[in-house]
Amino acid sequence: MAGEADLVRRCLDDEPGAWDELVLLYSRYVYAIVSQAYRLSGPDAEDAFQDVFLRVYDRLDTLRDPAAIRPWIAQLTRRVCLDRVSRREEPVEPGAERVDATIEELDEAFAVREALGRLPEDCREVLDRFFCRDESYRTIGDALGIPSGTIASRISRCLVKLREEFEA
Amino acid sequence: MSSQGNTSLRRGVGSAAAETASKAAQIVAAVARETGGAWPGARGAAAQAIGLAERLATLSNVDAQVFTAALEALASGAPDLQERLEAAAEVPVEIAEKAADVAEAALHVAERCDGLLRADAAGAAALAAGAALASAQLVRANLALKPDDDRVRRAFRAADDARYCASQALDAGP
Repeated sequence: MAGEADLVRRCLDDEPGAWDELVLLYSRYVYAIVSQAYRLSGPDAEDAFQDVFLRVYDRLDTLRDPAAIRPWIAQLTRRVCLDRVSRREEPVEPGAERVDATIEELDEAFAVREALGRLPEDCREVLDRFFCRDESYRTIGDALGIPSGTIASRISRCLVKLREEFEA
Repeated sequence: MSSQGNTSLRRGVGSAAAETASKAAQIVAAVARETGGAWPGARGAAAQAIGLAERLATLSNVDAQVFTAALEALASGAPDLQERLEAAAEVPVEIAEKAADVAEAALHVAERCDGLLRADAAGAAALAAGAALASAQLVRANLALKPDDDRVRRAFRAADDARYCASQALDAGP
């Protein structure tokens, strides 16, 4: 994506704040792969997380297509996690198929989250409250000052917009 | 909260109400999906109903856990009896509110769906309204709560909302 490619360029130019932005943007993604795909936890997960971003910092200039930074980071994370797993006394690698499926699900979840971020504020708010915070129609209606009887149709409309953003 | 020892989980009315409302939400989702292209918001309505069905299925299990824990505390006179009873009241409040949402979603779908499927959507609203009322009664019956407790008020407000939606849904369309 254009925004991600631009962020890579700014990191390579050592623009102030760019690296922080990159870590912020991908930290949840990396942590999700580490913890969900490879089931690392505690200090193991924290060390893997640090290793990934050290490698990103060291090797970002080798990334050929800046728009492909997400799969590149996913690949780095996989290697770091496999290294950690193989160093254990009884290394048990998770099946490649399961890891692939988990990363695919994570990619989709993060893509939805990004599409959500591009929606107008009113849609973002109502979808976040219903799907992420599990709030009832009445609670949402009370918080946003709209009749609870209109929330279901508003969510439906906003989901149509979300799909359009997601597929764009 | 989990049950202690080897006691199996006791599934009472709260758990059954959550399962009923979850089933109702699944029916709402199916009606919305089958209505399909004739209504642009159908997929969105189905997605909401699926979200509600999943949440209610989880609440059914949570309710069984807190209900079992409360029964154990009552039987043994456990020092944390009050806390366990309070916890056992919280879950049916959420079940009542989620069931009311299912009734609302069912009304939304009943007003827009294929006429052949309307009875299913309206019936789902009625099921959800029954589940909301059953849950509200559980909240009121909880020994730890006073009748003017905000949770009792919330649960019955949800039951009233659900009943209104069900009556509207049953009247929707020809």
